[in-house]
Amino acid sequence: MVLVSAVRDYVYRMLQDISGMKVLILDSQTVSIVSVVYSQSELLQKEVFLVELIDSISKSKESMSHLKAVYFLRPTSENIQYMRRQLSNPRFGECHLFFSNMLKDTQIHLLADSDEQEVVQQVQEFYADFISVDPYHFTLNMPSNHYYILPAVVDPSNLQHFCDRAVDGIGAVFLALKRRPIIRYSRASDIAKRIAHETAKLMYQQEIGLFDFRRMEMSPLLLIVDRRDDPVTPLLNQWTYQAMVHELIGIQDNKVDLRSIGKFPKDQQEVVLSSEQDAFFKANMYENFGDIGMNIKRMVDDFQQVAKSNQNIQTIEDMAKFVDNYPEYRKMHGNVSKHVTLVTEMSKIVEERKLMLVSETEQDLACNGGQVAAFEAVTNLLNNESVSDIDRLRLVMLYALRYEKESPVQLMQLFNKLASRSAKYKPGLVQFLLKQAGADKRTGDLYGNRDFLNIARNMARGLKGVENVYTQHQPLLFQTMESIIKGRLRDVDYPYVGNHFQQGRPQEVVIFIIGGTTYEESRSVAQLNASNSGIRFIIGGTAVLNSKRFLKDLEEAQGIARSNANVV
Amino acid sequence: MILKELRRRSLLGGLCKTNTMKDQSFANGESRYRLQLRFLLNKGAATVGLPPAWVDVSEEIASNVQRARVKMNELAKAHAKALMPSFGDGKEDQQNIEALTTEITNLLKKTEKKLLQKLSAAGPSEDSNVRKNVQRQLATDLQNLSMELRKKQSTYLKCLRQQMEDAADLEMNLNGNRPKEEDDDLDDMIFSEHQMARLKQSEVYTVEREREIQQIVESVNELAQIMKDLSVLVIDQGTIVDRIDYNIQNVATTVEEGLKQLQKAERTQKQGGMVMCATVLVIMCFVMLVLLILKEIIF
Repeated sequence: MVLVSAVRDYVYRMLQDISGMKVLILDSQTVSIVSVVYSQSELLQKEVFLVELIDSISKSKESMSHLKAVYFLRPTSENIQYMRRQLSNPRFGECHLFFSNMLKDTQIHLLADSDEQEVVQQVQEFYADFISVDPYHFTLNMPSNHYYILPAVVDPSNLQHFCDRAVDGIGAVFLALKRRPIIRYSRASDIAKRIAHETAKLMYQQEIGLFDFRRMEMSPLLLIVDRRDDPVTPLLNQWTYQAMVHELIGIQDNKVDLRSIGKFPKDQQEVVLSSEQDAFFKANMYENFGDIGMNIKRMVDDFQQVAKSNQNIQTIEDMAKFVDNYPEYRKMHGNVSKHVTLVTEMSKIVEERKLMLVSETEQDLACNGGQVAAFEAVTNLLNNESVSDIDRLRLVMLYALRYEKESPVQLMQLFNKLASRSAKYKPGLVQFLLKQAGADKRTGDLYGNRDFLNIARNMARGLKGVENVYTQHQPLLFQTMESIIKGRLRDVDYPYVGNHFQQGRPQEVVIFIIGGTTYEESRSVAQLNASNSGIRFIIGGTAVLNSKRFLKDLEEAQGIARSNANVV
Repeated sequence: MILKELRRRSLLGGLCKTNTMKDQSFANGESRYRLQLRFLLNKGAATVGLPPAWVDVSEEIASNVQRARVKMNELAKAHAKALMPSFGDGKEDQQNIEALTTEITNLLKKTEKKLLQKLSAAGPSEDSNVRKNVQRQLATDLQNLSMELRKKQSTYLKCLRQQMEDAADLEMNLNGNRPKEEDDDLDDMIFSEHQMARLKQSEVYTVEREREIQQIVESVNELAQIMKDLSVLVIDQGTIVDRIDYNIQNVATTVEEGLKQLQKAERTQKQGGMVMCATVLVIMCFVMLVLLILKEIIF
């Protein structure tokens, strides 16, 4: 709730004090930032009658000087150039500029120089530089996410951009929360160390005045981890509602685009899945597929009852009641058809790709032991014709991540089989993954087989049995968060930056995963937050991953690494 | 109003002319319009320019909505007063309520018509987007008002019905009580007289209520019609059309589409048979006129 309400508050403050008809001008990133928290009808209430993108607005020459322009942009050099052009030929009566992060002095000078006609009424910084998709989950939606995988020497300038964006995003989160954190990072990851140090420099040296908030007893904790510490979670198939929709269809800024998977009537081509606006979704987003089916059936039954009573109109009173309840009825109808469509499509996909079978093996690979049985299962599935290429690739990757050391011969066999079966498979991708995220590169104990305590815990769990085979996996993040709750996050694994130190447990923790978060992890966060442990967790990343996205990042990184090696 | 119109035209004309006018008549190369414009802009802080004509319509609609809201508050008070038990027959209250209700309903209907006609925009320009959005917002306000009015009316209706039933019950009770009182004949007669008077009164009362209910039901239906018309404009909250990014994408595509349509329309119009027909007819008219005049002159 806290991130969503912070961004909403910023947007409210932007629009509140300006009277009269307004036009809101955004750039391609701030459009996402505003769209997930504010709806079009709320904008209309605030008298914002036109919303435009800054690149398209430069093309039009219509003068609308009766409108006041509210600009909300990221302070990039491109946007400053657009602004300068706008200011030298102003189309609107007044200009109010809001930037989503800190402006450099040079940028302010440039803007002031271009403002010959003095249309600018105010310039402010409102730190809403992140997309808050869920109450405790934010993302930066970076388009070129794969740079974190490559070492710094390969492409230093792009990597610098990547780090800058991440640091800006994290800074904005803490400015929105009005706190300054203690920073820890994942030992084995160079990029985590780099981002941690740059963030510390920003908060404690460069902008020390800006970040100088009132100190509470316990500073919050910022933990920066690398996706490569847990490559298993994005590769797994998911069975809880929100994660499953993202995995099978894809959620972008809380919108689902169904056009890629089939033909739908106009109003069902794109749907919104937001826990803020949809009560059914909020209650069911973390439930597993079976339970969702039952809940949807119940919802459909309720709706049918209402529909039947609506058809039974006999007296004028009934008519009046019908017209009164019509907006509610229409909304309910839209909601029901949305969820039914989603679940139907997902069931179809599960059928086609035989995901139940595949996922059982995946979960075994991720959670339980037994190398021989695993090898057999994977080989069988590779031989199975109806399993798709991407699923085969995932299975081999999961096997390789777990048993990379145990039986190299069998591993080679699997690689060869994969290469022969899958036409589109880029050779060497699995090996690339192992090189990046192999056992010696990871911090933390992904499979729970490094120290005795974890092994014992795993055995106990195996004996007890699990509730649901398909959702037995717990992401590594869950264990990390539990250690934080107990106050036992090891310094060896997660050192502090510089001379920071903290005794005891923090009350607020922000975990930033470089490379992207997954909805399974945000589910763990929501569950821990609901369990009243006394600590509030917030999770964020450079993107929201599903297996397709993760594999795409790996492929792109591999491509760049390869071309670099060729050049060298 | 006229002055505003003139100023607006001259200002817009000034902006156009600045681009195309040649500097013939002025020695130092500044056009008169450009000077005017510069003067206007140099007035210290930027002045917000004059809005286009449809903004007046939208302001009118907004003020109508405000008036309707005020009237509705009055109506609520009148409802409350009428429902309280009173000694008089409450005729003035009824009339007051009726008058207010019809006034509000008419106001809403008029406003709705204006909203749908005057404010509808065509074409893909940015101005038409603004118009469309203003229309949407006013439609939402209007719809909320109509729904409120309907709710108030239906609660009033329910209370009225309740009172009617109570009166009917009272009647029945009176009827029921009659056979019990056989003891006192005198009392009986007096009682029955009282009873008759009371019956007559409650009959009249019921007939009144009946009529009122009928009227309210009528206005409820009218409002239902308004709501139906408006619901096309109003955005459903929580759906995809309520998302800002969806609307921006759509604007981009509709602008391109609109441009194509406009170009097509221009082409068809140029080739249009209508223009040809009209010209031919006009020529014929002139020819006939000339012939007529010639006929008069010769004879």
